[in-house]
Amino acid sequence: MALWGMVIDLDRCTGCQACVMACKAENNVPAVGQKEAERGRIISWMQVLTETDEEHHSEKMRFIPRPCLQCDDPPCTKVCPVYATYRNPEGIIAQIYNRCIGCRFCMAACPYNAKYFNWYTYQKEKPGQNPDVSVREKGVVEKCTFCHHRLQKARERAHAEKREIEPGEYNTACAQACPAQAIIFGDLADPGSEVSKLARSPRAFKLQEELGTKPKVIYLTEGEGGG
Amino acid sequence: MERERSDWDRMVKNLQWAIAGVFVLFVGGLIIWIIHLIRTAWWLGDVPSASIGISLVAIPVFLVLLGVVLYVFWGLLTHQREE
Amino acid sequence: MVEHKDVHEEILLAPIAQTGPGFYWAVAGLAVFILWGAIAYAVQFHQGLGVTGLQQPVSWGFYVTNFVFFIGISHAGTLISAILRLSKAEWRRPITRMAEVITVMVLFIGAGQILIDLGRPDRMMNVIRYGRYQSPLLWDATSISAYLTASVVYLYLPMIPDIAVLRDRLKKRKLFYSVLALGWTGTEHQQRILNRAIAIMAVLVIPIAVSVHSVVSFVFSMTLQPMWHSTIFGPYFVVGAIFSGIAALIVAMIVFRKAYGLEPYLKPIHFRYLGQLLLIMALLWFYFTFSEYLTGYYGAEPEEMKVFWAKFIGPFWPFFWAMVLCNFVIPIACLARLSQRTVGKVLIASLSVTVGMWLERFIIVVPTLSFPRVPFPEGVYSPTWVEWGLMAGSFALFALFYLLFTKLFPIISIWEIQEGRETGLKEVEERLLTYLPDEAEANILAVSTRGR
Repeated sequence: MALWGMVIDLDRCTGCQACVMACKAENNVPAVGQKEAERGRIISWMQVLTETDEEHHSEKMRFIPRPCLQCDDPPCTKVCPVYATYRNPEGIIAQIYNRCIGCRFCMAACPYNAKYFNWYTYQKEKPGQNPDVSVREKGVVEKCTFCHHRLQKARERAHAEKREIEPGEYNTACAQACPAQAIIFGDLADPGSEVSKLARSPRAFKLQEELGTKPKVIYLTEGEGGG
Repeated sequence: MERERSDWDRMVKNLQWAIAGVFVLFVGGLIIWIIHLIRTAWWLGDVPSASIGISLVAIPVFLVLLGVVLYVFWGLLTHQREE
Repeated sequence: MVEHKDVHEEILLAPIAQTGPGFYWAVAGLAVFILWGAIAYAVQFHQGLGVTGLQQPVSWGFYVTNFVFFIGISHAGTLISAILRLSKAEWRRPITRMAEVITVMVLFIGAGQILIDLGRPDRMMNVIRYGRYQSPLLWDATSISAYLTASVVYLYLPMIPDIAVLRDRLKKRKLFYSVLALGWTGTEHQQRILNRAIAIMAVLVIPIAVSVHSVVSFVFSMTLQPMWHSTIFGPYFVVGAIFSGIAALIVAMIVFRKAYGLEPYLKPIHFRYLGQLLLIMALLWFYFTFSEYLTGYYGAEPEEMKVFWAKFIGPFWPFFWAMVLCNFVIPIACLARLSQRTVGKVLIASLSVTVGMWLERFIIVVPTLSFPRVPFPEGVYSPTWVEWGLMAGSFALFALFYLLFTKLFPIISIWEIQEGRETGLKEVEERLLTYLPDEAEANILAVSTRGR
């Protein structure tokens, strides 16, 4: 079975936020408005975190695009009281919006702050949205799903044509949109895939690897000379 | 007068046993719920060991509570007069 | 002897028999706060949790703090009463009932905080349908329902003889008291059954109570977050719970002592003993806090230190140092010498601990969330009127429940007071004699040593 994963090359990332916008459009992520944004309630499944290098103070900034890291040992699914978030067999952490009771325990447990809450009813279904992705109601938690609806579509197409999913047939919106090609998506279970090769690079590292969450989003650190 | 008195006593007694009945239902409901959770976890392969482990402690605790309550209800209601 | 009985019954039944204007004023005052809370909840239910000050990354705030705090207060009652009963502390007699009532009432309020905190309270039943025992929230649900059930039973059983007095002596609510009295006539057999049941419950309730605040702490310590993921959280929370519980108990005792004129029953000696207990808990609490923070500081993991400094000198310093002041400095100062003005000193210490323990819960919940591991934009949490309203309403509802209870049942156990004079005195003397060396035996021993 496939094990979907992502490699993000920080050497290539320019912090342009194209991935963020592509994700918002693809997944019907609501725009919360200025007032709510000022209160710290922006929903951004893909969020570009900025880290200042402590050695060089503010001289050096690092952009870390952070989707849900789809941990293989996720701290968030353990604590869910109602099975509204779980790891599916292909390694994607699913959210069941219609079951979530909004206790926000998964948000408190996620060491990457990848989970977001609908504090109000931020949007209703309307034309112009992506019809493949459901619109979330108030009071539930949501997060990046590796554009899971695209996997379902690709799988259905392949099934109809009686073949396996080809490499590259299933890609996430952020990877597609990145102008610097810093985001590469694919099957980590296939050792020949591009993600697998990049994941074995000596530059590869994982966020908070010491926590043992086994994230399937792997970062490539900046090259020796560059920044 | 006598009839009134015994009607009253009967009503009181019925209500008392009804409280005991409610308690039985409450504890029974809780135990059924815990078993339901074990079953769900089993089906989904969702760490059934956690539910089994907890139920091993929780169910006996509730049963002891039920036992104490029934012991008191039974003991007090059937020994209202000195033998 | 008979006269004695009547005096106690008269004094202790007085609040139930007659109701003065003070009661209605108190209810009206509490109703204002409860109304505020109700309006706040209605707004929140209608619009969503957005009306609170919660945000990203501080997704838990006042409600979770209050949950931990109220469940902590619940340890006043049943646990302390059970320990005092099992250790045969004779001074427990006028205290146990008051303590047990706190537990039962506050557990409802505490469990309610979690419901208030839900983003989708309409889906509450999902916990029953799809609940999963890997989540510490389900551990809480199970443990708290066991504790609530046990506490209700443990409150009710020792009340049966008193309810029988109410049934026989009071003109009103005849059916209510008759049913609850379970046909109590005080026969020897009935007494034996009741005493045995109370003893079983006292033993059973202690591990349940310990489990409750342990699993409440597990909600935090089972996550990987800095300053939450700590092995001592279970006992640390239990100690804090008993600490705040004793404080709340003392406050309730002083309030009702004044309101119902119970000075003859709740003497300075009772407050002195409880004050000493509070002092011990203050020292124990300080020890736990010290160990917890020293371990974090010495290890100096960067993520831990972010939270650590935020508490010590960062944005949370006023709360942190106020907590130290309220939980340690003031209680120690007040409780070190209790020979004079006992009640006043104990009251100040208790009020201070109640505030301090709330701050402690707050300082555990919020700073960790404010400083996440990843460089996420930091947010400042400040509660809105909705959260303040629900907090005020929760406290008021608890006070109202307690007040209503005192109008239905005697707040001091009548039969246990009577028993104290009738059998307690003799029992203590006999027990004391068993501690002492046997005179005859000692004499024989002395003769034999002399002979050698």
